[in-house]
Amino acid sequence: MAALDPDAVAKAFVEHYYSTFDTNRAGLASLYQDASMLSFEGQKFQGTQNITAKLTSLPFQQCQHHITTVDCQPSGPAGGMLVFVSGNLQLSGEQHTLKFSQMFHLMPTPQGSFYVFNDIFRLNYA
Amino acid sequence: MDPDSVAKAFVEHYYSTFDANRAGLASLYQDGSMLTFEGQKIMGSTNIVAKLTSLPFQQCQHHISTVDCQPSGPSGGMLVFVSGNLQLSGEQHMLKFSQMFHLMPTPQGSFYVLNDIFRLNYA
Repeated sequence: MAALDPDAVAKAFVEHYYSTFDTNRAGLASLYQDASMLSFEGQKFQGTQNITAKLTSLPFQQCQHHITTVDCQPSGPAGGMLVFVSGNLQLSGEQHTLKFSQMFHLMPTPQGSFYVFNDIFRLNYA
Repeated sequence: MDPDSVAKAFVEHYYSTFDANRAGLASLYQDGSMLTFEGQKIMGSTNIVAKLTSLPFQQCQHHISTVDCQPSGPSGGMLVFVSGNLQLSGEQHMLKFSQMFHLMPTPQGSFYVLNDIFRLNYA
């Protein structure tokens, strides 16, 4: 089995995650599982349904993420990967972009893909 | 122990050690530890401490704004996500930063840093 470059995997995941977020937030459900955890601005959610409900109910119609940095590291013997992202978030109708940082802990699936086990999101206020 | 309390205790210990005695951070890392500092990848306690003690300032002070934590899976690890401000001695403006730690338990009932990623948040 060919070994994938972790940085390439992380970048591919980040592109997929944010393009899904920006065009079809409900589609994020496939990236989480029952044990997944999200901390969104300090509020904790567990499981695909609760996480997707939170993300699809955020108070804006449209948004666009612009990614500035992506860092990744393997997370230990279980084959997981940590991905640390920073960037800007443009909300439709808003003049100023919001800065954010987010970390994902990706775990491998039997099908050779990844799902989000841990997700922590914070806005970076000026 | 309540995970949020463990995370807060670790964060306080980490940054007070960083601000008072950077070389003392060596006890918090092991050979398999990884640090990514502003995109630069460093591995192992010795190399990590060498990087942190060679940062170009005499003194600094971390002011923590937010701490989030989650258990990281079956190995008993804990993810800690921190944001805050960094004041460097002699500098007028503070730097904003975000940092994540992946803590793993030690046999003695403590934690060490397996993964560490640090980024400044530029305006």
